[in-house]
Amino acid sequence: MATATDEQVRGAELGLLERLPWRRIILVVLSIAILSVVAIGAFKTLTLPADERYSTTTWKDFIVLGLAQGAIIALIALGYTLVYGILRMINFAHGEVFMFGAFGAFFFSDAWEQSGFLNSNPILSMALLLVIAMLVSMGVAILLERIAYRPLRNAPRLVPLITAIGASLFLQNTARGFFGAQSRGFGVPEVLDGTWTILGVEVDRIQVVVLVTVIVAVTALSLFVSKTTTGKSMRAVAADSEIASLMGIRVDRVIVTTFAIGGLLAGIAAVLFSITFESVSFTMGFRPGIAAFTAAVLGGIGSISGAALGGVLLGLLQSVGPALILTGYGIPSSFQLKDAFTFLVLVLVLIFRPGGLLGSSEAEKV
Amino acid sequence: MGGVPTRSIVRTGLLGGVGAIYVALVGLYTKFADLELVGQQITLGRVLIVAPAFVAAFAVTRPRVVAGERQTVELRGGLGVGALSGLVGAGVFAAALWFADWFGVDRIREVFVAITEPLVDFLTFDKGVPAGLPILIALCVVGGVVGGFVRTAPVEIRRPASAGVLAVILFGLLQRIIPIVFVQLGFEADWLYDRGAGLTWFGALIVFAVAAAANSLWNRDGGRTRERVRRNVGQAPAAKVGLFVAILAIMTILPLLLGTAISEVLGSVMIYVLLGLGLNIVVGYAGLLDLGYVAFFAFGAYTTGLLTGAFLNTTTGAATPALSADLNFYVAVWIVALLAAGVGLLIGAPVLRLRGDYLAIVTLGLGEIVSVITASKWAQPLIGGPQGMRGVTKAEVFGLNFQDNPQHFYYLALAFVLLAAFVSWRLSTSRIGRAWNAMREDEQVADAMGISTTKFKLLAFALGGAIGSLGGALFAVSIGSLTPASFEITVSITALAVVILGGLGSIPGVLVGALVLIGLPGLLREFEEYRALIYGGALVAIMILRPQGLIPNVRRSRELEDEEVSQDAWAAKAAAESEAVAAVLPGGGLGVEREDLE
Amino acid sequence: MKNRKYFAMLALLGALMLVAAACGDDNGGETGGGGGTSATGGAVDCAADEFGCVEVAAGDPIQLASLLSITGDTAFLGTDSNHGIELAIDYLDGTFDATPGQLLGHDVELTQEDDGCSAEGGQAGATAIAANPDVVAVIGTSCSSAALGVADTILGDKGMILISPSNTNPGLTSEEAHQPFYLRTAHNDKIQGAIVADFVFNKLKVDTAATINDESPYADGLAAAFRDNFEALGGTITDTEQVSSSDTDLGPVFTNIAATDPGVVYGPNFNPVCALSYTQGSDILAKGTVQIGSDGCLESSFLDTVGAPIKDFDYFASSPDVTAFQGGDFYKNEYLPAYTDQFGEPTSVFNAHAFDASNILFDAIEATAVDDGSGNLTISRTALKDALFATSGYEGVTGTITCTPLGDCATDVTIGVFEYDHWPVEGGTDPTDPVFSETKTLADVI
Repeated sequence: MATATDEQVRGAELGLLERLPWRRIILVVLSIAILSVVAIGAFKTLTLPADERYSTTTWKDFIVLGLAQGAIIALIALGYTLVYGILRMINFAHGEVFMFGAFGAFFFSDAWEQSGFLNSNPILSMALLLVIAMLVSMGVAILLERIAYRPLRNAPRLVPLITAIGASLFLQNTARGFFGAQSRGFGVPEVLDGTWTILGVEVDRIQVVVLVTVIVAVTALSLFVSKTTTGKSMRAVAADSEIASLMGIRVDRVIVTTFAIGGLLAGIAAVLFSITFESVSFTMGFRPGIAAFTAAVLGGIGSISGAALGGVLLGLLQSVGPALILTGYGIPSSFQLKDAFTFLVLVLVLIFRPGGLLGSSEAEKV
Repeated sequence: MGGVPTRSIVRTGLLGGVGAIYVALVGLYTKFADLELVGQQITLGRVLIVAPAFVAAFAVTRPRVVAGERQTVELRGGLGVGALSGLVGAGVFAAALWFADWFGVDRIREVFVAITEPLVDFLTFDKGVPAGLPILIALCVVGGVVGGFVRTAPVEIRRPASAGVLAVILFGLLQRIIPIVFVQLGFEADWLYDRGAGLTWFGALIVFAVAAAANSLWNRDGGRTRERVRRNVGQAPAAKVGLFVAILAIMTILPLLLGTAISEVLGSVMIYVLLGLGLNIVVGYAGLLDLGYVAFFAFGAYTTGLLTGAFLNTTTGAATPALSADLNFYVAVWIVALLAAGVGLLIGAPVLRLRGDYLAIVTLGLGEIVSVITASKWAQPLIGGPQGMRGVTKAEVFGLNFQDNPQHFYYLALAFVLLAAFVSWRLSTSRIGRAWNAMREDEQVADAMGISTTKFKLLAFALGGAIGSLGGALFAVSIGSLTPASFEITVSITALAVVILGGLGSIPGVLVGALVLIGLPGLLREFEEYRALIYGGALVAIMILRPQGLIPNVRRSRELEDEEVSQDAWAAKAAAESEAVAAVLPGGGLGVEREDLE
Repeated sequence: MKNRKYFAMLALLGALMLVAAACGDDNGGETGGGGGTSATGGAVDCAADEFGCVEVAAGDPIQLASLLSITGDTAFLGTDSNHGIELAIDYLDGTFDATPGQLLGHDVELTQEDDGCSAEGGQAGATAIAANPDVVAVIGTSCSSAALGVADTILGDKGMILISPSNTNPGLTSEEAHQPFYLRTAHNDKIQGAIVADFVFNKLKVDTAATINDESPYADGLAAAFRDNFEALGGTITDTEQVSSSDTDLGPVFTNIAATDPGVVYGPNFNPVCALSYTQGSDILAKGTVQIGSDGCLESSFLDTVGAPIKDFDYFASSPDVTAFQGGDFYKNEYLPAYTDQFGEPTSVFNAHAFDASNILFDAIEATAVDDGSGNLTISRTALKDALFATSGYEGVTGTITCTPLGDCATDVTIGVFEYDHWPVEGGTDPTDPVFSETKTLADVI
């Protein structure tokens, strides 16, 4: 009886479309299809004739490259995830925060390279570069929050998103106007050239520095957020800003702090990125920015471990992905498709886990 | 001073100074120092010198709410305040300039490439650093005074004056376009413009006078004309239709009046209006944040190419695509739209469950996937890869050639735009539109009420996809040659900006948005280098100051501006009170002018 | 009921519009029609000329336009070419004295438009120029994507000559795609690809190569030309890769390339991809692997990004060989100093091609313009085109110029391969002579 009444209430809207468990059927079919595509691709790649197959060293290279690049992306992704946790908005302009930090470091690095200071005191100069980049990025992030986001604290979601896109365009072209359109070479201290052999595996020295720095930074951040008062305030505001303010937490301060920390991490990422790829340019923030928030979403936005995981995963996908899966199918120039490949993975992950890998599997957080 | 706290004046003045420094650092002075607006003395560069001081003064003399009362600034006080803030800003600017000169322009140029000797010369009016600074400061103070004046002068003066100045600046900027228009219409333009340069003094005077006069007429008798028009348009359907027909007539005649170059710009505007209308359905009506609209645009363009017999560019000449058909455009275009609707369903299906930001990222990703594929070697046998395709049909009919003749193309695009606008309009007032409204405002409630969100979301994606692909099809016909560079994320962002700027959910808004974001840069090609900078700044400014867009959809603006609505209610109430009092006490009242509340 | 009314109204308006458009006249068209009456001896029959004539009244300037990349990443190409044109106008009076000369007693006025290095940019610029019926000819575009199927067609439909100083994409002068009013003084990239293939196979004696190009038609076309010719010589292409011009992380791509063990990696791209290929590729490729770029790489920003040459890894870039420019002495002793005096260091080598393009254009105008005796010129567009295409054996700065019916005027093309960092641009170390230089014609290549 009760069922019949419900059906009557919902009226003619309920048709065949709603009766079948479409979602489950599609998901099952889809997962089988994806798994088979991936498995077949990987199988074909690994069973190529011996002269065409990748050697172990090459696989090692792919993996290490992916991890190093992914680590840098993870640092930037942390900035996105922290801001999202607090404000529920994706700060599209974070890539430009990163870019300005890189430029800040660049001008000093350039001067020191010419004067020889970079090579005579590599550790000191690297440390100073990190500090400079962190300060510049923090400054830009705080300015951004103050000018573009604070007036829109209570606006519906679309408005700050558009503002962020606009701010990103604006900052990018400001850098272009300030520093010129050409890309500049970023000097690397000689001591970081070359490779180290760790546990029998040969890796670039810069890659080691990157990985170590990122691990330290992520650990520090986790400890900060879980142990310190400010960190706890951040978590409180992220959970519920109204209650937090009722409890006496100064929400404005916390928000600024969050942006500052995001900026700080972006500054570190900026220096690491610049020495890895040995160049800076005014567009350098755009692609890493997109990659980073993809990584954050992939891992589950709002979660620190999610951002870290997403970043590393993204790096691996971009590096190992085309090599492992697309090569087997004989797709020409498969590395050009790495972005498409990565986004496809993102879409698929979100179909199965709408909250990201480490996020909740519920589509809506009530 | 003048009712404005000194601290505020100083702070705004400082911001003005910083703004001027920013303009210098980003290279705008260097680039536009020689762009003559009026005669030889008033160049865009010089206008930009006073602009920050002007803006700062305008901002600082705004009416404030003090202790619950709305206080405007008096004229005399306003001038003084403006002067002071201008002085502060000028001081900062001059100090920076002096520092640059002392420190060494060449050393600064290693970091900030725009700081050059010619820049210093320009800013000191060729007199060098200590000597030229007083002129600079004086100019900025004047700018501040004018800014204060524009805010605080009596309405009858400041409205026409502002209109006049804006018109002069606009005419000055359009110095390459308007003479062509005049010549097209058969008039001489020598009295208005110096040949190859800006307005003549005489011309500027005329423009100013005409604009100011038009403005005062419009606002005559305390805005009675304006009110009457507004009321009529708002209420009488006959007036609405009349307005619509009038606009349509203007849009029809425009290309014939303005010549091929401007028609070409208008054609691009129409393509983006089409894209905007499609995106408006997805984002504006259904509330689905789509950042990857370029996917449909690219799909429409390339599919049209494939279906109408275009071929691939190769080093040896041409090659036939792996799949090809040679259909008439008017047959192919509907196939394209149908296929795109299918693609829309395909894109929509996996993202149904995702909420706002996730949806944005995923659609962005899907757009990027399409961008990457258009350039890929993998798809090269089908769509040409980096070298692209060419030979898209010209869609000739009745002797009209839409690829070679921009004026003809404009009409083709206009026809599609009208179709899409009609469809959008009917949808917005239909049951589907109401379902979208409900879904957009609160999805869970809508679901609970029995609205199948799945069905309506998919419908939105399908329709949006179909219309977007029509935009792509038109683009392909107009250019005839397709390369991956035309299908990047910029298209998605621009389409979104068009919709937002015009006003979400508002059809006339899409037209205005496209005119501003595509039309203006198309006409003002001198600004090409700074287009993205201006875009970004404009987006941020619009979102902060007027998020409901230029021509808001009433319903949406209520969603977006709860606070402003209540403020308007207060203002309306106060206005009603003052009218009531004024009716009894002639010449007096609460001192709150009606216009001040606008 | 109301809906039907609105619909009917719309349909009616739509129909009216189409009728209006069909009947409306074609504003902004060419001046066409009877210029023949004022010509001396009736030598110009403008009525018979499908594209009409350009009339230049006495005292008025001859109007030229340029459609080049003057903003954005490729601005180094466009501004440089504009300077070449300006020098040609200067040289009309026989000397480089920074004062413009006159052609047939008329000043030459140059309007500069931006090609945006894209199809839309080319369309917008070309339409703007085509709207002015007084423009005699156009020099442009910088980027092939702005010309192919776009600017060449728009201008060609109005009978306006488009002569390019830097389009190198082979498709522009192919049988299928060539437009009747399009020519170029820049080389056809089939030649550049063939000469580089020759350099790799016969000079470096390497028979395995990989290519990596970005998403521009220029890079893709040139890489394809290299591959075709290299394989014809007997070499093996081990890998074909593509990246995006905005990529910074080239590690995985080069790892993939390195796995196929090529002796040479050919990357005919633009900067910064070229520079990043060198720095990052050197970390990954086997020692001794040679990398080669093209004229898109050979500019000062590469030097700025890379710095000193990388040990164990050589880098070369191919480019028109300025030292073999037939203008030899003229180029070195008069042209180049004039350029540096007036504009500073050249940012690309294609300014010389622009100089040559302008000069053959001036010659063609001189040959076909008819003066009515009082200084009024009439120039038939078709006659001008025919005169240009008939240019043969012209000794230009960049070599001998003989235009083929398909529009390739640089018949004997000399491409030089320059070793880094002995590059003939600002910041390059002397000597800046090429390590390999070869001349080929279109008939020699695939």
